[in-house]
Amino acid sequence: MFTKDIISWIKQSTKSTKFYIFVTLISFSLVIPLVLRDSLSIRVLTLMAIFTIYASSWNLLASSGQGSLGHAAFLGVGGFTSALLALNLGIPPIIGIFIGGVVSAGIGFLIGLTCVRLKAWFLGMVTFGFSIIAETLVSQFDDFTHGILGFRTAPLASSGLPFYYLAVLIATLCIAIIYYIMKSKMGLAFRAIHQNQSESKMIGINTAKYKLYAFAISTFFAGLAGGLYAHFLRYIRVEIFTPANSFEPLMMSVIGGLGTIEGPIIGSIILVAIDSYLPNIDKFLPIVHGIFVGPYLRLLGLGIFLVIVVIFLPKGVSSLLRKMYNYFFTDTKKANNIERK
Amino acid sequence: MSLEVNSNFLAPPFLYFFNLRINLLFILVMNIRGKLTEYTVEFLMIDSSTLILTIMWGAAIGCIYVLLATGLNLIFGVMKLVNFAHGELLMIGAYMGFTVITALGVNVYIAVFLSMGLTALIGIAVERLTFRRVLGAEKLNEIFVSLGLILIFDNIAVLLWGDKSKRLISPFENMSIMLGEASIRVDWLIAILFVIVILIALLFLIKKTKLGMAMRATSQKGQTSMLMGINIEHIYIFTFALGAALAGAAGVLYGIIFPFNPYIGALPTIKAFAIIILGGLGSIPGAIIGGLLYGIAEQTAAITLGSIWRDAVAFSVLIIVLVLRPEGLFGKRGE
Repeated sequence: MFTKDIISWIKQSTKSTKFYIFVTLISFSLVIPLVLRDSLSIRVLTLMAIFTIYASSWNLLASSGQGSLGHAAFLGVGGFTSALLALNLGIPPIIGIFIGGVVSAGIGFLIGLTCVRLKAWFLGMVTFGFSIIAETLVSQFDDFTHGILGFRTAPLASSGLPFYYLAVLIATLCIAIIYYIMKSKMGLAFRAIHQNQSESKMIGINTAKYKLYAFAISTFFAGLAGGLYAHFLRYIRVEIFTPANSFEPLMMSVIGGLGTIEGPIIGSIILVAIDSYLPNIDKFLPIVHGIFVGPYLRLLGLGIFLVIVVIFLPKGVSSLLRKMYNYFFTDTKKANNIERK
Repeated sequence: MSLEVNSNFLAPPFLYFFNLRINLLFILVMNIRGKLTEYTVEFLMIDSSTLILTIMWGAAIGCIYVLLATGLNLIFGVMKLVNFAHGELLMIGAYMGFTVITALGVNVYIAVFLSMGLTALIGIAVERLTFRRVLGAEKLNEIFVSLGLILIFDNIAVLLWGDKSKRLISPFENMSIMLGEASIRVDWLIAILFVIVILIALLFLIKKTKLGMAMRATSQKGQTSMLMGINIEHIYIFTFALGAALAGAAGVLYGIIFPFNPYIGALPTIKAFAIIILGGLGSIPGAIIGGLLYGIAEQTAAITLGSIWRDAVAFSVLIIVLVLRPEGLFGKRGE
């Protein structure tokens, strides 16, 4: 019964171009570390995979109309849970990261209870506030969390290629799950709530329930990404709660394309690549006021890029790619159809 | 009982922006005792002189928050725009004051007005170039543009003026008045006086002039006021410039009281938002009362509970208020 379903699903999906794009991307991600063999590149690729999960989780929440400004709270909760479980109870990190995701989802559910009634900007404020509160609590209970000075986390997999393939595997699973959620009735409800909340309430969508679902699912993936991040960096400190970490997935999703599956992937690839490879040219830049201008110029450029994308490309870089795809593939077919008629 | 002040850890490269750990209590205690190099602050016991000091200090900080919150409220009321980058205008205002003082050699309190003018010009540019294009579309887009602007302003300020802390030296630097046992800096009192004067001028502008009437009309019903012959584009520009000018004044006053660096903008913005939410969206008296109460409450919390609780307490209050009343303490119920 179940195998029949899967076979029919495979038969159906082989007809769509999306499936081929998906397969190409996965095989590309499996092959690329064999081409870029230096350890920095593999670290960067791993970071891309982790941030893909994190940005996708933010994007899922935003597609239900809730723009969180404090997602670092869940990244941190996931990371600290997994790292502390491994440290104190000796639970292997591969289970710990999922427990971290569940704990993070539980906290996200509780925070979501307070957030579902709020409007966009209030919600942003409250989630930002929660990340500050989480930071304060973790530094306050330092005896238990060891957050202020940080500690060395247990290894999840040996660093390098094994960790990269594990991260890609988890990221692929997460994106597949998010894709099916967004295609299901729940995803439809999320988009309806995003477009017009009072109207979707009128049609009979339980908006509070679906917003809570969005919160819980999104925070689960954020916690999972946090666990991976903590075990990847091999240390964890209260710094994981910085607002910069909260804004990172936002920028990735917006630059890539808000509310799409491919947006956060593209965005995280672009941003992590900028963060990791552009510092190489820093030493050729002048020193002003006794500081190296490189990092600041990079952030300035990022800000300008973000504003330009929001103003001129509201659907992100992925919409450009879609346009190109349509231009090269779909238009000719349509033209042929018209000729035949 | 002693209490460690968090020092800034070395962050990974992409964590440079938003250096939020500016410890106001730390600076306060340093100023009182004149020990600028000590890294631990002693836990203060509450007595009458501390109480007076806390209230005056809270009022001085509160005044800066009031200016910022009033500007934000004005922009929100008229344009229905959420400007998360408003605190960056405060930071730019402080640096404008610094530049004017070093270039022209004027008094700091005259620099307040010059900085207001310059920051208003920057505000006009920001409104025309960015917010105008996303206004009225999706609310999330305004938040994204604001975050982009925060990055832009922070890093331009670092590139132009460096990331070292600066101060604006006022002529009354070392003067203080004794109130009981507490010594209060004259600059705090002058800052409070300035804020009162600016707010009275603002209220006069809004309540008594034709321009203010046009602003009020636009805030009530934009389309109808357009039909009545008000050019709401011009009103938007003027409102944003006014809000920016208030932030510029707040910036120079901030620079007189505290040292400032390019990262000071973020936290005051959030606090100004908290004040607006507490005081009611679009209500200027609410913002004034809310700002003063907030400043005093924050200082009291910092002194009784410890400085790391300062921000968390503020946000806890905000969250509790929003859970009980999602539209704010004095806000109107909508939809």
